[in-house]
Order: sequence, then C-alpha cells, then structure tokens
Amino acid sequence: MEHGGAALIAGVGLEAYLAVAAILFVTGIFGIFLNRKNVIVILMSIELMLLAVNINFVAFSAHLGDLVGQVFTLFVLTVAAAEAAIGLAILVCFFRNRGTIDVEDMNMMKG
Amino acid sequence: MGLTQLAFYVFAAVAVGSGVLVILARNPVHSVLWLILAFFSSAGLMVLLGAEFIAMLLVIVYVGAVAVLFLFVVMMLDVDFAELKRGLADYLPVGALVGLVLLVELSLVLGHWALAGAAPESREAVFAIEEGVANTPALGAILYDKYLYMFQAAGLILLVAMIGAIVLTLRHRPNVKRQDVLTQIYRGRDVELKDVEPGQGV
Amino acid sequence: MNSDFALVVPEILMAAGAMLLLMVGAYGGEERQRNLITWASAGLMALVAAIVATRGGAEATAFGGAFVDDGFARFTKVLILTSSALMLVIGKEYLERRGILRFEYPILIVLATLGMMMMVSSGGLIALYMGLELQSLSLYVVAAFNRDSARSTEAGLKYFVLGALSSGMLLYGASLVYGYSGSTSFSAIAEVIADDGVSLGLTFGLVFICAGLAFKISAVPFHMWTPDVYEGAPTPVTAFFATAPKVAAGALFARALYDGFGNAVADWQQILVFISIASMFLGSIAAIGQSNLKRLLAYSSIGHMGFALVGLAAGTQAGAESLLTYLVIYVIMNIGTFAFILSMERDGKPVVQISDLAGLAETRPAQALALGVLMFSLAGIPPMVGFFAKFFVFKAAVDAGLAPLAVAGAVASVIGAYYYLNIVRVMYLSQAERPLEIRTNLIGQGALGLSALVMAAGWLPIFDGFGLPEMAAAAAQSLLR
Repeated sequence: MEHGGAALIAGVGLEAYLAVAAILFVTGIFGIFLNRKNVIVILMSIELMLLAVNINFVAFSAHLGDLVGQVFTLFVLTVAAAEAAIGLAILVCFFRNRGTIDVEDMNMMKG
Repeated sequence: MGLTQLAFYVFAAVAVGSGVLVILARNPVHSVLWLILAFFSSAGLMVLLGAEFIAMLLVIVYVGAVAVLFLFVVMMLDVDFAELKRGLADYLPVGALVGLVLLVELSLVLGHWALAGAAPESREAVFAIEEGVANTPALGAILYDKYLYMFQAAGLILLVAMIGAIVLTLRHRPNVKRQDVLTQIYRGRDVELKDVEPGQGV
Repeated sequence: MNSDFALVVPEILMAAGAMLLLMVGAYGGEERQRNLITWASAGLMALVAAIVATRGGAEATAFGGAFVDDGFARFTKVLILTSSALMLVIGKEYLERRGILRFEYPILIVLATLGMMMMVSSGGLIALYMGLELQSLSLYVVAAFNRDSARSTEAGLKYFVLGALSSGMLLYGASLVYGYSGSTSFSAIAEVIADDGVSLGLTFGLVFICAGLAFKISAVPFHMWTPDVYEGAPTPVTAFFATAPKVAAGALFARALYDGFGNAVADWQQILVFISIASMFLGSIAAIGQSNLKRLLAYSSIGHMGFALVGLAAGTQAGAESLLTYLVIYVIMNIGTFAFILSMERDGKPVVQISDLAGLAETRPAQALALGVLMFSLAGIPPMVGFFAKFFVFKAAVDAGLAPLAVAGAVASVIGAYYYLNIVRVMYLSQAERPLEIRTNLIGQGALGLSALVMAAGWLPIFDGFGLPEMAAAAAQSLLR
C-alpha cells in the first residue's frame, strides 16, 4: 500500500499538528513545575500532556496512513482515565490527612 | 484559505489558548472548564485528521467522565482558594525560560521532519488506513483481534484503578443505616401491627 | 491464535488468580480471608515462577510480536516473581500488627507483578506502555496504602505526580519514535534504524523514552521521588519497591534499548553513561548525611541502579549479562536487609533510625553479624558476592572501551563504602542507652540468615555463584539476536 502522506492530512501539513501538540506538551510540563500551590492543577497539567501525546499519535497515524497510532491513542485514553481516578483518590486521601492540597505543604519528608 | 484550514486554525488556537489558561487560571473550577474546552477543540483537530472515533471518545471519556471527576473533586474538597492564589509570579520567569527552551528544541525536531520525511515513505503501514472504510469499523476490526493482548491489559488497568479508588477512599461508617434487601425479604412473621393513637406515638 | 494463548499461560494464571482472590476477598468477609489471600497470592506467584522456570524452548512471539517469550524474559520473570512472593510473605506480619493489612494489598501486589511480567516480555512500545502502567498504577496505590498516615499519602501523591510526568515523557518519546520509524514494534524500529540510521526525531524520541525509564528505575536526574517514597510508604511496601520493580525496570530498559535500538548503541550510550555516573555519585554522596535507614537505602538503591546501568551502557552481550547478575545479587541483598529492618522495634513501635542499631552486636550478635555481612556486600568489599556484581559490570564496561566509566564507578563505590561501614561501626562500637527489640519470625530470620550466608559464601570455589553467571549469560544471549 502506498502512503497517502499529505493527502490524508487535509489543508495544513503534519508540522502544524505536531506544533500544536508540542505547545500543549510544553504547557503541561510547564504547569507541573510552575504551579507550586495547587495539586489538582498539576493533575490537570498531566492530562494536558497526555492530550498532546494523543494529538501526536493521531497526526502521525494520518500521515503514515497507518491505524496503529490510533490504536495506541485508544489505549493511552484508557490508561489516562484510570490514572486520573487513582490520582484523585490519592489526593482525596492526602486532603483528609492534611486538610490542604498546597504543593508547599508536601514537606513532611526532606533531605 | 479553505474551510479546512480555517477550521484547523480555529481549533488549534482554541486548544492552545485554553491549554495555557488551564495552568494560569486562579480558580481551579475555571481550570477544569478550560480543560474541557481544550479537549473539545482537540477532538475537532482529530476529526480533521480523519480519526472520528478517537474524537468522539475524547468527548465522551474526557469531557464526560474525567473532567467531571475533576470538577467533582475540586468541589468536594473544601479548599480555601483565596489562599492558593499567591505565589504563581515567583516561578514565572524561570518556568517561562525552561518552557521556551523546551519548545525551541522540539521545534528543531519538527522542522527536521521535512528532511527525514522521505524515509518513512519506504515503509509499509502495519494496518493501512483504506479508502472507503469508515474509521470506527476499521479500528474495531483490529482492536479486538490483533490487539487482544493489550485490550485485556487495558481491562486489568481499569480493574486496578477501581480497586485503588475503593481501597483509598471507601470508609465503612458504623452509624450509617443501609437497606438490606435480603433481610427484608426473609424477615419472618414477627412483625406486629400497632394501632397508634394520633398525637401520642408508640 | 491457540499457540499465542499457550505462550501467555503464566500471565493468564496471574490475572485469573488475582481476580479469583479478589472475589474471595470481596464476598468472603474481610477478616477471615486476609491471611488466606496473602498466602494464596504468594503461592500463586511461586507456582507461576515454577512454571516459567521449567519452560524451555527457543524464542517465540505471540499476538503479532507484542509478547516475546525468550530466555531473557523467563530469567527476569522468575526473579521478579520469587522476590515479589518473598517480600509479600516477609512483610505480612508487620502490616498485620499495625492493622493495615487489607485483602487488597496482596491482590495489588499480584497485579503489579503481572505488569512487570508484561514489561519484560514486551515486544513493542504499546505492550511496554501497558505493562508499565499496570505496574505503576498498582504501585501508586500501595505506596499510599496506609491511608490514615499523612506520610504514606504524601509519599503516594509525590510518587504519583512524578510517575505520571515520567509516563507522559515516555509516551511523547514513543509518539516521536512511532512517527519517525513508522512502527511501534521493536523489531520494525530496529530494521528502520539498520536501513536509514537514526534521524533526529528518533534520537529525540529515544531521549524522552530513556528519561521515562530512568524515572522508573530511579536513576539521577529522575530520582527525586525515591527517598521520600521509601521513607513515607509502609516498610513492607518500601521493601517491595526495592526489589521486584527495580528488576523489571532494569530489564525493560535493556529490552527497549537492545531490541529496539540495538543498532544505535552510540546514540544511547552517552545518555546511559551520564545517567549511571550521576546515579553512582549521588547515591554514594547523598547517603552519607542520612540518619533514617529507609532513606539511606533509598540513596543506596539510586547508587546501585547506577552500577547496574554501567553494564547496560556497555551495550554488549557481556554488558546485559552483568546487568542481570547485578540485579539478582542486588535483590538478594535487599531481601535480607529489609527482613531485618522489618523486625526493628522499640516499645512495640517500629524504628528506622541508624542510631537505633547501637550496641546490637552485644544484644543480638547473630543478627548483627548477618546485617554486617550484608552491609559489606552492599558496599562491594571482597570476598562478598556484592564485590563480584560490581566487578562484572566494570569488566563489561572496560571491555566495551568505557574504562573511564569503570574508574568513576570504582571511585563512587569507595565513597559509598563509607556509609555502609558506618552502620557496621554503629552496631559494633557504639553503646546503646536502651537495647533495640527484634521482633521476628521464622520467615524473617530465615530470609536474613540465608541472604547473608549466600552473600558471604556464594562465590567460594565450591558454590561458584550457584551457576548464576551461566544462567545470566544464556538469558543475555537471547536478548541479542
């Protein structure tokens, strides 16, 4: 099977999609390190990173004319949902013990 | 500029803009709402790429479940958000610098795509996207067959998430009264009817 | 398809067993079933280990190459399963006495172990990711398992946030590798590299994947979580973290780099050289100031993973062989050390300070001697077996032309010897105000005694490493096709 390449990506090139994904990924990483106050926003930044990865996979999948990237995205979506559930469960536990979700209060252990 | 291009730029701009606002919003509830918008616009991008099934999944799973879960937790935890507003500015310069460097590096890679792009052309697609076959059946045809192993693993991951969430957060409170249907059904004839006078009680 | 299922019988047994035990726990009444489920889980893992160990045969793949069954996978699976089962049994009494053993704990350990088995058998990026996440998600939960302890939940939260970040990086790398090679299976990636060399996009993907994997193995610069998680998590969980997941992460590292990027050794060698030198030195230097034994062992594990990665950095068959040997010896040492830490008590409360060990040589000479032997072995002082572990990785590095790396490793191990020997000094030369109580059972004592005995005598001419080098060589050979 010949590669459809650009034909499968209508209008704009692959690079444009990859750029959007790269910006979102960097925003996600940025959010994790920039945010020193609120753990929930850190969890949302992780979701942003995974969203960027998904855009990357689907864009490459369309460019290569190959479904494997979309299948990978399906699994990433499933795992991300499971990850969000566990992350929020641990966060709720932490809040019950400490009464805060401030990142700077995660300081019981140092050294 | 064609309609597709216009749609791409709108979706891309909204996705990036709301992504940035997720981490900059001062109120976490606003962050969740921006996150939902980012998911929606990304779903739009996926439609443009011909991946309708992923796009719908993004809306159903992310907007419908994950984002609502976030919203639920944000509201359940009684956090003083005024307290959390401080401190963002302290880290902004360093964070911006790191982000910028990372972005420049990534753009170097992506710019390189044009040069390396010829290489994958020589490769066969493992499961080719065929003309005339809709996205959803094409995915379904391989997901339960060729990817059975990973599909089962995904099931186990969801099981772990379920066990984990229950283990960490479920608490049996001794004073809570629950309905026990079996006890109700199998209760013998030890029920006594009493004629209660109005205003007197039992 | 039938032969595919025959190949994954051990994994199916683990999954079915975990679900069956979950049903027993959920419907059988928690109190009575806890013991049964813990023993049954350990038994299940031992049984599966026996099945895997007795399987022979050439390399085979299943499910379109997503699952690989070869000597390497079997070797690491047996190691992972036995160490998981042992740690479950050794830590059971500790959890029970603190009232935090619930029936979900052994089940989560079984599921995490299943994830590790999938990791070492992965034949492509998707299987790698799914196995890794099955393992990681279970581990996040067990880290926070003592949900009423602020330290345990903080450990869980830190582990989760940094773990999810590393998964994200690994995935971004995977997406780049997929985009620039056109495939997610290791063999296809290797073919592409053999044909066209490594493009810039592939290099970037490789760097991101290495960063994600380095986090899982707790190598510098992605080690930040290790001391806090080791300290905060319940001690049996820490003991588990120090053994099986380290083996799985190390083996996965080898699998991804040798199988997928085996033709691009020069590209990842520099990354691994940097990671291993940084880990060895940070592990050795940062451990010196520690007073908490669990934190100290966290830094020790960072250092040891640095040494193990020296073998991987060599990029040769001898390198993979020395990595496997190192992991086996490291696991045996940690089983003994943690069996001892789990027994430390004062007034019925667990204690983990190094100063608590003072005067142990007088009150408990046998335990002190065993722990002393393990410390000498961890420090890598001949004639303990720990020395041979280090010797093999350095030899592999020198043979691969990385003599400076081996020299750096030798220097780091000399620095690291200081804090291990400090523990021996505290036990033998310090006087205790009040002696430490040792509360142990037959299993804990047996684990401590046996591992000390093996570490002391394992490389005597009559034992000659119990045939470990030969087994590791056979396993490494199957990794390099």
